[in-house]
Amino acid sequence: MTGYAIVLASGELERVQAVSMIGSIAAASETPVQVFATMNGLTAFEKETVETGDFEVAGPAGYAMLESDGDEVPLFTEQLERAKNLGPLEVYACEMVMDLMDNEIDDYVDVFDGSLGVSGFLQKASDKQVLFV
Amino acid sequence: MSESISPDVTVDSRGAACPGPLMDLIGKVQDAEPGTVIKLQTSDSGSKGDVPEWVEEAGHDLLDTVEHDDYWSLYVEKTR
Repeated sequence: MTGYAIVLASGELERVQAVSMIGSIAAASETPVQVFATMNGLTAFEKETVETGDFEVAGPAGYAMLESDGDEVPLFTEQLERAKNLGPLEVYACEMVMDLMDNEIDDYVDVFDGSLGVSGFLQKASDKQVLFV
Repeated sequence: MSESISPDVTVDSRGAACPGPLMDLIGKVQDAEPGTVIKLQTSDSGSKGDVPEWVEEAGHDLLDTVEHDDYWSLYVEKTR
């Protein structure tokens, strides 16, 4: 096992934040991490969603994070950007969902290393422990 | 003992929740030379427990943890 491949398939803020925190700390500790954002997990990264803060929220922890307004808990986008400077963290967008939503990579916040299909992801994940969120 | 430790760098992460303080510390540790002593200030009780876990895993030394009224100071020496 040489790191984690995290499939982020949910757009719920709680899950997206958890992925960004765990992925960031792992990468900052020199453990390679690849995040594959797919389904609604990719939607959470749309510029419009991030700018308006209009995230899917599952429950009280999510509302508390939104209310903290980034003072206490930085938003996942900032977290990931920062972590990429500290360690081996790569973030990929799912090509299928991009097509489905008629989006280009520029429609998402600038944290992506590129886009991948399923086989591309599986290849990158082949030596890693896969976490599905 | 902590009074005798004089840090080379102080990182003030008070007010930030997990994992902010740890990220702040990691950033400083990466930039520092081995032997550097970093004082991390945090008001987050989760970080007080989590930071030492990381320090041990990463192979650095936790020299001391000092409790203040509403925050903690963790003294970390970069060893490698």
